[in-house]
Amino acid sequence: MLKKLILIPALALSFMAAANVAVIVHPSNAATLSQDDINKLFTGRAKTFTDGKAAEPVNLAEAVAVRADFDQKALGRSSSQMKAYWSKLVFTGKGTPPKELASEQEVLDAVAKNPAAIGYVSAAAVTGSVKVALTLN
Amino acid sequence: MLKRKLLAATIAASLCGASQAAVDINGFASIKGGMALSSDDELYGYDNDFSFKNESLAALQVKSDLGDKLSVTAQLLGRGTDDWDVKFEWAFLSYDLTDSLRVNAGRLRTPFYKYSDFRDVGYAYDWSRVPQSVYGLGFDNIEGASLYHTTTLGNFDSALQLIVGSYDGDAAIGDATAEAQIDNVTGVAWELGQDGYSFRVAYLIGKTTFYVDPLDTPVTGLYAQLTGFGLGALAKDLDIIDESSSFAGIGFNIDKNDWLLVSEVTKATVDDSFISDQESYYISIGHRFDSITPYVSFEKEDNQAKTEIYAAVPTASPIFTPVAGLVNSLELERDSINVGVRYDFHPSAALKAQYTNADNKTADRKDSVLVVGVDLVF
Repeated sequence: MLKKLILIPALALSFMAAANVAVIVHPSNAATLSQDDINKLFTGRAKTFTDGKAAEPVNLAEAVAVRADFDQKALGRSSSQMKAYWSKLVFTGKGTPPKELASEQEVLDAVAKNPAAIGYVSAAAVTGSVKVALTLN
Repeated sequence: MLKRKLLAATIAASLCGASQAAVDINGFASIKGGMALSSDDELYGYDNDFSFKNESLAALQVKSDLGDKLSVTAQLLGRGTDDWDVKFEWAFLSYDLTDSLRVNAGRLRTPFYKYSDFRDVGYAYDWSRVPQSVYGLGFDNIEGASLYHTTTLGNFDSALQLIVGSYDGDAAIGDATAEAQIDNVTGVAWELGQDGYSFRVAYLIGKTTFYVDPLDTPVTGLYAQLTGFGLGALAKDLDIIDESSSFAGIGFNIDKNDWLLVSEVTKATVDDSFISDQESYYISIGHRFDSITPYVSFEKEDNQAKTEIYAAVPTASPIFTPVAGLVNSLELERDSINVGVRYDFHPSAALKAQYTNADNKTADRKDSVLVVGVDLVF
């Protein structure tokens, strides 16, 4: 019984951690971003930040759990719907999907290094080397 | 064949040779098996024998980013019906004039329909095949150039494509194949989308020439014989030489709250020829239940024979039967119903099944076919 009581808050915490996605940019990036802006950048419909500077979105591989949360919360689609969406553009020469990185650490490193980059990680993984542009709950 | 292999090797080598270039390789494949459901049914190339070849295909696409906004894309595709012989489905250069304006030049997909660009990429849509009543023009690609412009208009995403070029190859005419040449193709396709809604129009014109073996043959062909009878004007009304042609299409789709509704209406004409005016449409509705998407669709083809061509020919005339037969052979009224399901069983693959029943009112026959298969991207 006691074990169960401990387990419940622990589970709830882990769900909350998975539920919050932090969209991150380079600390020098002053652009303000709405969910719609992020949607446009990660679907290739916008190529610049709201201040007009070039944006380079970096994605997470599908194997990373937070990817599915991001696809659902920021883009409103499942990961397989996103794959179908990109296959329409890739196989017609009309677009290239964002580069995929294998881990949240790689996304943090890529965004910390590149003033044009925009990525996302779970909120709990955010470090001081990047700036949180928006948190998706 | 050897030539083709050498060409592929040369292109591969030149792509690899560009050591600075970032090369993306993507691929897609459809492995489908199907059959007509009763012994004398025939539809979409299926008969009563189960076939894995008829609609299966595999393709590799290589895109090399050469830097400075220039890239080259080549798609190699092999179809089961061609014994898996690999062909360049398209090969083009792209140059980004600005972030929103791109020029493509080379062998391109003609933007007749909403799904023209990726009709071979089954993974990109829910059906087992694009609706054949509408997508049955008989040729898909063009050699030429296109200008592709994307922008936002208020809350709408706008994609405008202008295309010029020509086509030289085979084209379907009724059940036969003709050597076709379509020159001075000029067209525009425009798609507006917002939050699950999209709307598309396309309009293309060109000059069509078809060489059909038993008709255009000198001396013994129908046209030569008509001309010999002093009916040169009738021959000219029938033949297909540099005729003004047009294609118009309009479509919309809605993807909202997991409901999917899509429809296209098209009309194609070739003036001063025996080719019937082709009017077609389809409407499809589906619902996404997580990874399972069932759908139903209805298609209609209405190709009206140009009987006015032979209206002045007396029925007793010896030429009446061949001329009327030719003109009437392109009359077709056919309704088709499809019921199917897509199941996303894997992140890169979808299992699909589709049943089609086509009611050909002109020939008074019904044909049905069932196809099951897997579409994947890699």
